[in-house]
Amino acid sequence: MIVKLFFGIVGLAVAPFLGGLIAGLDRKITARMQSRFGPPVLQPFYDVFKLLGKTPSAVNAWLVLCSYLALMGSALAVFLFFYQADLLLIFFVMTISAVFQVMGALSVNSPFSQVGAQRELLQMLAYEPLIIIVFIGIALKTGSFSIEVIYAQQAPLLYSMPLLFLTLGVALTIKLRKSPFDISASHHGHQEIVRGVLTEYTGPQLAMLEVAHWLDVVLILGLCSLFWATSLLGMIVLLLVTYFLEILVDNISARLTWQWMLERALASGIILSVVNLLWLYALK
Amino acid sequence: MLQVLLFLSIIAPVIAGGIAFLDKGNGTRKKVVGVTAALLGVSALLLTLYVPGALAYESGLASAMSVPVLVLDLALLCLILYIGWSRRHGLIMALAAVQLAGMVVLEFFMHPQTLDGSPAFVVDSLAVTLVLVVSLVGSVIAWYAIGYMKEHEEHLRLLETKQPRFFAIILVFLGVMNGLALADDLTWIYFFWEVTTLCSFLLIGHDGTDEAKANADRALWMNMAGGVAFVVALLYLQQASGTLSLTALTGQIRHGGSAAPGLLLIPLVALCFAGFTKAAQAPFQSWLCGAMVAPTPVSALLHSSTMVKAGVYLVLRLAPLYAGTYVSTLVAVCGAFTFIAMAGLAVGQSNGKKILAYSTISNLGLIIACAGINTAASIAAGIMLLIFHAVSKGLLFLCVGAIEQKIGSRDIEDMRGLFKVMPKTALLTIFGIITMMLPPFGMLLAKWMALESAVEASGAMPVIVAMLALGSGLTVLFWARWAGIMMGSADPKLVVGFEQQEATIGRSIRSLALAAAVLSFFAPMVYVWLVGPAVEAMLNAASPLLFTSESFGLGNSYGVFAVYPLYILIAGGFWYAWQETRRRGMAGETLPYMSGIQAAQDGKVGFIGPMKGFVEARSGNYYIGVFFGEDRITRTVNTVAIALLAMLLGGVLQ
Repeated sequence: MIVKLFFGIVGLAVAPFLGGLIAGLDRKITARMQSRFGPPVLQPFYDVFKLLGKTPSAVNAWLVLCSYLALMGSALAVFLFFYQADLLLIFFVMTISAVFQVMGALSVNSPFSQVGAQRELLQMLAYEPLIIIVFIGIALKTGSFSIEVIYAQQAPLLYSMPLLFLTLGVALTIKLRKSPFDISASHHGHQEIVRGVLTEYTGPQLAMLEVAHWLDVVLILGLCSLFWATSLLGMIVLLLVTYFLEILVDNISARLTWQWMLERALASGIILSVVNLLWLYALK
Repeated sequence: MLQVLLFLSIIAPVIAGGIAFLDKGNGTRKKVVGVTAALLGVSALLLTLYVPGALAYESGLASAMSVPVLVLDLALLCLILYIGWSRRHGLIMALAAVQLAGMVVLEFFMHPQTLDGSPAFVVDSLAVTLVLVVSLVGSVIAWYAIGYMKEHEEHLRLLETKQPRFFAIILVFLGVMNGLALADDLTWIYFFWEVTTLCSFLLIGHDGTDEAKANADRALWMNMAGGVAFVVALLYLQQASGTLSLTALTGQIRHGGSAAPGLLLIPLVALCFAGFTKAAQAPFQSWLCGAMVAPTPVSALLHSSTMVKAGVYLVLRLAPLYAGTYVSTLVAVCGAFTFIAMAGLAVGQSNGKKILAYSTISNLGLIIACAGINTAASIAAGIMLLIFHAVSKGLLFLCVGAIEQKIGSRDIEDMRGLFKVMPKTALLTIFGIITMMLPPFGMLLAKWMALESAVEASGAMPVIVAMLALGSGLTVLFWARWAGIMMGSADPKLVVGFEQQEATIGRSIRSLALAAAVLSFFAPMVYVWLVGPAVEAMLNAASPLLFTSESFGLGNSYGVFAVYPLYILIAGGFWYAWQETRRRGMAGETLPYMSGIQAAQDGKVGFIGPMKGFVEARSGNYYIGVFFGEDRITRTVNTVAIALLAMLLGGVLQ
């Protein structure tokens, strides 16, 4: 109990730095893929500090409240992950963050913010069911939703649930708003300056959401790590390959519409994951 | 003592209803409703002293009621027959006639031994749970109705008040629901069941418009169809097993094995079908959506604490009897399908009351799916959902009623920026919505329990899981959207302004909000005290998968939901965020980004358009009519639901 609490607190303390670093590397690698030199690896930190130093100004107070709550939700989810808590519980806490970001964006009568929020809701509709099914698949295989038990498995989960891992990959691309699913807030300067659901968050509020995003990245990589929990090396390789593929897909694909996302990505994710569930269920 | 409590819970509201009907004075009506509400609440709380532990059997009250119930039952069916005749509604008449014939055969030719050795009322944990929901939430709604109906009738400019009749039916409804929960004899349950049908028919048609009448008729015939199934089950059970006592039946079935023998599955399916109609499961959802024409307290009552809860109560109570059979799997699939289909329909709606209606049916579907998954953990999840849904949904209906009376619309697009107009009501509505979709609140705890137990579903597990997952995603979508647009304001300071609320309305809304917050915190205690014992009593054994109170929350071998620490952390975080937001004044007001010169005029934001004119910015939600439009998918939904029902019936008849 105490040990787990310790893991949770340390994990939460390290996660923002890790997340920021990953964001920096992401930008560097992306730049190289586009034959640019790219910003320094620590650039995301500089950005966030600069945002924090700006004079606070917001259209309404709800944006401020919602950015605090979003950061709280993400931080709590990361804490629970390192505490090795229940997967579904972590999922529900994760939605707190997403929901409050959207609610803040909806509180402002700006077309960009409104459309961004509606699209973000559709992205949530696309990734939430997939993540739930993946978690239930894990529990079907391991007999528990507890991360502690899942990490204690003898064989890597990837062997028995490759399609569920693929589904998780799709869900994560949507959750991280990477191309082709950067529908609600494009991350790339060359595509769009107004960042959809994030349009009205400024200064310190935007900084908080940026940190929340880093925490989400760490959490998501943590979830991927469940699929190769038997050796540290295997886990690291799996995460590196997964994240590299995410960046690659991000760079080689154009943004698609939400209709495409719901009709193709969500539908194929459901089919893939149910097929995997079926064989796990049959073998049980 | 127990007799007194049963009297107070079941008969006293009926008598109070009679007084409210005869007395035309406004002052006394308020007193009658207030006193009845208080008595109901107290007696429901005192009833909990009897659980878990001794089941209360045979009482004097029961034998005194036996003949009146029989007479009233037949009179009731004749009355419905008459209603059908006066409306020239052949279907209602036919359904009533079939039931009347069935009951005559049962009572006069098969002579069931109603009170011979078997109990008349059984006070067990599950029954007390429903009694608590009815008596506490239902009473708050009745109290709210006092303020609401006054305003409602002023708005309609009625020459003569119809309130005596209205409150009489509401009070009778509460008493009858308690009777339904506590009765053990199936003929009695059937009697109370049909009275709730009649009450809801009268309440839906209360305003007397053509639409109200048509919708009331639809509610009547759909529920009468369920009633016919109920009568079939009664006849079949009497013939096959010689008893109509639930306790005796449960004992008999258990004696033979773990679940019902093949033959008894037919009456069980008939009873489930009756439960489906009452709980407005697809394809019967249209009666509950149509019930929205009634005054808001009626919708609140039908949706949160009475009527539909009777349907899921029956399906939950019978769950152990069909455990492990084909029926169980099909019940789970039907419930999960309603869950996802109704959540989808809710996404396509901009009418606030319809969103609430579809979300109710969707949640009832989830409860029925839990009954069908049929493990100790899933039944517990179903009961938890029943409790927390009643509180949160009651709160939301009362809020929407108050909003509608103020702004004259129930469309959520008209609720944009409601915080400026009705700060307190808007905040409480947002709170109500959050209790429906986010942790650490009770609904989420129950949904967590449901999803965790879905892993153990005996049949069709992948399909059920996929439907539950998709349904959850849709649920978040329509709730978050509604809560978000209500917050809108252009004030950089977080100030909760003054709002005039009618006393009974304001108090009832606040008390339900408080109940939602407090109950969610004490959810593990609610579980240990009521729900866990209820499941253990139903299954007649402790199950290893049943959740227990551990690690500051609830958990089983699959996982733990640490309610207390999570609640404290989130509440603390919220409090901090709220304080910081209030404290931190924004340096300068800004206007939303408009991709041009933004401007504000008369409190509206927009931009400077061509010819230097002010153009107001407008936006609307995505309702995604292509996928979720009512006119687009209702037919498909009904077709699939009918196919599933046919599978349920056909599989059993083989």
